[in-house]
Amino acid sequence: MSALADKLRGLRRQAGVSPPAPAPVPTPRQRPALPDNISQLLGIRQRVQRTPPRKTVMDVGPLPGQTIAPGLQLCEARTAWPAMPPAFHAAFARIDQNIEPERLLLFDTETTGLAGGTGTRAFMIGVGDWHEGQFRERQLLITTLAGEAAMLECFASWLRPDSVLVSYNGKSYDAPLLKTRYRMQRIASPLEGLAHIDLLHPVRRRWRGAWENCRLATAERQLLQVVREDDLPGSEAPAAWLGFLRGGSAAPLHRVAHHNSQDLRSLGGILHRFATDEDAMVPSQSTRP
Amino acid sequence: MNALPNPMAQRAMRGDGALAAPVSGGDQLARRLAKRYGDRITGSFVLPGREGRFAPLPGDMPPALADALRSRSITQLYAHQAQAWDATAAGKHVVIATPTASGKSLCYTLPVISAAIRQRAKALYLFPTKALAQDQVAELLELNQAGDLGVKAFTFDGDTPGDARQAIRLHGDIVVSNPDMLHQAILPHHTKWAQFFENLRYVVIDEVHTYRGVFGSHVANVLRRLQRVCAFYGVSPQFILCSATIGNPAEHASALIEQPVTAITDSGAPVGEKHVLLWNPPVVNADLGLRASARSQSNRIARTAIRAGLKTLVFAQSRLMVEVLTKYLKDVFDSDPRKAPRIRAYRGGYLPTERRAAEREMRAGSVDGIVSTSALELGVDIGALDVVVLNGYPGSVAATWQRFGRAGRRQQASLGVLVASSDPLDQYLVRHPEFFQGTPPEHARIAPDQPLILLDHVRCAAFELPFKDGELFGPQDATPWLDVLAEEGVLHQEGERFEWIADSYPANAVSLRSVADGNFVVVDRTDGRQTIVAEVDFSAASLTLYEGAIHMIQSVPYQVERLDWNGRKAFVTRTNVDYYTDAIDYTKLKVLEAFDGSPAGAGSAHHGEVHVARRVAGYKKIRYYTHENIGYGPVNLPDLELHTTAVWWQLPQRALEQAFDHRQEALDGFLAAAHALHIVATVAVMAEARDLQKAVGSGDGAWFATPDTNGRAQLRAGFGENEVALSGPFIPTLYLYDAFPGGVGLSAPLFERREDLVRLARELVHRCDCRAGCPACVGPVLAADEQGERSLKTLATRVLDLVAAL
Repeated sequence: MSALADKLRGLRRQAGVSPPAPAPVPTPRQRPALPDNISQLLGIRQRVQRTPPRKTVMDVGPLPGQTIAPGLQLCEARTAWPAMPPAFHAAFARIDQNIEPERLLLFDTETTGLAGGTGTRAFMIGVGDWHEGQFRERQLLITTLAGEAAMLECFASWLRPDSVLVSYNGKSYDAPLLKTRYRMQRIASPLEGLAHIDLLHPVRRRWRGAWENCRLATAERQLLQVVREDDLPGSEAPAAWLGFLRGGSAAPLHRVAHHNSQDLRSLGGILHRFATDEDAMVPSQSTRP
Repeated sequence: MNALPNPMAQRAMRGDGALAAPVSGGDQLARRLAKRYGDRITGSFVLPGREGRFAPLPGDMPPALADALRSRSITQLYAHQAQAWDATAAGKHVVIATPTASGKSLCYTLPVISAAIRQRAKALYLFPTKALAQDQVAELLELNQAGDLGVKAFTFDGDTPGDARQAIRLHGDIVVSNPDMLHQAILPHHTKWAQFFENLRYVVIDEVHTYRGVFGSHVANVLRRLQRVCAFYGVSPQFILCSATIGNPAEHASALIEQPVTAITDSGAPVGEKHVLLWNPPVVNADLGLRASARSQSNRIARTAIRAGLKTLVFAQSRLMVEVLTKYLKDVFDSDPRKAPRIRAYRGGYLPTERRAAEREMRAGSVDGIVSTSALELGVDIGALDVVVLNGYPGSVAATWQRFGRAGRRQQASLGVLVASSDPLDQYLVRHPEFFQGTPPEHARIAPDQPLILLDHVRCAAFELPFKDGELFGPQDATPWLDVLAEEGVLHQEGERFEWIADSYPANAVSLRSVADGNFVVVDRTDGRQTIVAEVDFSAASLTLYEGAIHMIQSVPYQVERLDWNGRKAFVTRTNVDYYTDAIDYTKLKVLEAFDGSPAGAGSAHHGEVHVARRVAGYKKIRYYTHENIGYGPVNLPDLELHTTAVWWQLPQRALEQAFDHRQEALDGFLAAAHALHIVATVAVMAEARDLQKAVGSGDGAWFATPDTNGRAQLRAGFGENEVALSGPFIPTLYLYDAFPGGVGLSAPLFERREDLVRLARELVHRCDCRAGCPACVGPVLAADEQGERSLKTLATRVLDLVAAL
C-alpha cells in the first residue's frame, strides 16, 4: 500500500466510507515520488518505500484459439447444421426483405460487466455465419487491453455493407456497447446502417406470457430443447477474464468461450426456427413486392 | 433577457439626463418607515439611479439574429453586453458579474446563437436548478421564433424522457442542463454525445457564485472531466460564466475552469434609485435580549407597502413560512372571495404549469403581493416590482443583493428591506450596513484538490477515458491517485495506460454535495410517512442526528427518534417543541503540521494540518429566546476522528499572565473570542456555519476547553475524566477548522484574512447591544451571570486585543 493509499483510506474512513477490498493480485510497479503540493495537501511525511510484493509467476495454462495479433486470440469451429432455406422473408423481425443466409452474421459479446457507459468493454466477440454449407463460429478474445483495437478491426473486416446482424437483445446491449468501443478507439463503427435482426423481439411478440420469461436460456430450452451442462453463468464471465488479466489462470476462459459458443448456436437455432416458419417462406420472388 | 434596453425607457428620461421624478415609490415608503420605526432601522442607504450606457448591435452579428432582436424591440445593447460580445469574439473566456436584471443572459445568448447559425456550433448551458433551465429554454425559443433562426434548444435533466434523449443528443444546438446531469449522465456516456462534443463551441455556466465550498470543489472537477472529454473530441470550448456580485468573480471563475478569465463587472443597464433598509425587530424583553419575530415585522412592512399601492415581494426561508406569511397577508387583502386574489404564494413543489400561470399573473400585474422561497431568487421573470422584503438573512450578501434586485423600475425608486431574525448571523449582518455598501465582502472559494473529492473524480474520469501514465488531471499528475485506484482493483495498468476494469458506474456513487459517500439520510416518519427529507454529512451526523436531537430542516423542526448508525439513517418526526438541542461536544485538536505562520499581536497565527478527535457526550435542551437550559439527554455514539486543515491563534503564557488574573478568565475569553471569530469567519469565506467549526484547547492536544452551562470554560484532558489541573506550559489555542476529512480549503483564505477577522470580531463584540454577551457575539450567557470586568464580552475583547496586529 502506498502512503497516499493509506492516507486516503484514513480520510475515507473518517468520512464514513467502509474501506474497499484491495484487488486480489496487486500489480507491482514503480511509484513516482509525490509532488510537493500533494504531499503538503495530504500531510504525508517522509516514509520508507516498502518493496511491493513480487507477483507470483505461475503457469496460466493454454489460451483458447490461436494468436492472430498481439493480445488477440481467434477460435474457429465449423459444424454441420440443418440446412437453411435459400432465402427467407424477415417480416417476423419487422424487416421487409428477403434475406439469403450467406448475408447473416450472428454475434454475441462477453463483457466486463453490465454497468453501462464508457467504462464497460467487450473482451470477447463471438460471430456465427453460414459459410460453405456449414455453420462457422469465430470467436475473438483479447488477452490484453491493448488487443482491443485489433479485435475491433478484425470484427469490422468480417462485415459487408449488405450484412444482416443477428443477435439476442443486441440492439439495446451489444451493438451500442460496440459502437462506444469503436468510438473510444477512434475507429469508424462498421455497425452503422446495417440491418439487424434482434431475436429477442420476435420471441417476445410470440411467446410473452406463454413462457416464464423470454431470456435466451428459456428460448433455447423451449424451442431447441437445449439444456446446458456445466455452463459458466454469463454473470461469471467478467470475473473469469479479470482473473486472467490480473495474472490468474486461463482455464476459465475456455469455459467462457464454450458458453459464448453455445449462445451463438442457440441464436442460429432460434433464427432457423423463424426462418423455416410458414410465414417466412419465400415461394417465389413474384408474389412478394 | 429579462432586462432589455427599452426605447420607451429612454424617452422617459429628461433632457438633462436625470431620471424622471418618481411619482410615488419605494423612496416615499422608505421615508415613511424610517420616520415611524427609526429605532428598528440599523442601516439605511440609497443607491442612486443610473442612466443606461448603450452600444449599437454589433455589425458582425448574423443579420437574422439582429432582425430577431429588433422584432423584440431590442435595437441596441447595454455597454456590458457589447463588451461581452467583443471579448467572446476575441476568443476569451468571460465571466459577467453584474447585478440582477442587468441582462446577463443576452451576454451569452448572442455569441451562442450566432455560432449556431453560422457554423452549426453547439453550446452546453449549466444552470443550478431545473426551473432556471426551463426558463432559459423558453426564452431561447421565443427569440428563435421571432427570427425564425432554426436554432434548437432543449433541456436535458432528470425529467427528460428516455425516447427524447437520443433526439436531443443528435439535434440539440443548445443543451440546457445542470452539473449533476453532466456528472452522472452526459460525461459517463460521452460516446453517445460524440457529435455534440465534436461541435461544442461554448459552455455557459450561470450562477457560478453558488458553486463554492464542497459543491464548487466538485463542480470544478466535473469541469476538468468535461475539458478532458472535449480534448478527446478535439475541441476546446470557450467558457462564458455569470455570477452574482461577489468579491472575486474573475478569480473564482478562473478557479472553476482553470483558465484565465476576463471579468465584465460594469453594468450598462439603467437602474432606478434603490433604497435599502436594514431592520432589526424591536426588543420586547430587555433583560433577556428578546426581540419580536422577524415574521411579525415582515408582515407589517409588506402590509404597509401593499396598502401604499406598491407591488411587493416577500422572501421567506422555508415553505412553511411562505404559507404563514401568505395567510397573514390574505387575511388582510383577500377577504372578499368574489374578487381576484391580490396575494400569491410561490415556492418549489409546484408543477411547471402552475409556476408558469403564477408568473404570468405576476407579469400582468394583477397580483399585488407575492410570498416566495428562494425559488424566485434566480432569474425567473415576473415583471417589475417596487418593494422586496427579506424575512431573515438569506445566508450571503450576494444572495441578499440578488433578492433585492427583484425590485426595480427604471422611472421609480424601489425599496429593499432586510429583516433580521434572532439567528446570530442575522444579528451580525444587520448591524453592519457597510457589508452592503462598497466592495462585496464575500469571496467564493473552492478546493478542487481536496484529496477525497479529487479521488472521486479521478475515478469517474478514468471510467470516461483511460489515463496515460503521467497524465495531468487539473494542474497535477494523476499517477499517485491512479495507483490508489489500481490497488483498489478498479483500474488495470497495462504499459503506459490505466484502464477502467470494474463492473460499476462510479458517478452514481459520487454526490456533488458531500465529501465521500458516508452520508446519513434523514427519513421523515410523521403520520406514517417514509420520506427522505435531508442528507447529512457523516462528520456532522453525531452533532445533529443523535436520538432526541431537534433537527431543523429548512427552518422546520424535526425530532430524531432513532439513529441507525451502521445503516446511516436517522428517523425523524415533525415536532412543535419550544426548545432546540445543542450537542455537548468534546473536541480535542492537535497540531500535526503548520504550513505557514506569522506573529499576531502578542501571539501568533498559523494554518496547517490538525488532528481532531470528537465525542458527543450528551445534549442540552435550550428554550428558544431565553436560552434557559431545560434539560439534558445522553448520547452514545462512536468517537470521530478527523485529519483536516485549520487556522489557529496562540498566546504565550507571559502575555496571558499580564492580561488576566486567572487562567479561568483567559480560557473564558478564548471561548468567547472563538464564538465571535467563528461568526465573522463564516461570512468571510461564504461557508455554511456547520462546515467551519471552532475549538479551544492546547496546541499539543494535552487538554481542551468546553463551555459549561453558564458559558464558562471547563478544562478537560480526556473525554471521560472530569476537570484536571494543568501541568506544563499553558498555551491556549483558538482553532477554526474545516469540518471535512482532508479539509475543503477554508483555512488558507482565513489565514490570509486573519487580521481582518480579528478586527471584525472585535467590532462584533464591541458593537453588540447585549450587556454581558449573547449568541450574536460571544455565545449564550445566563442573564444572571456576572458583568463588568468578568463579563464574557470584556474577556473576549481582551483576547482579541492581544492577537490583533499592532
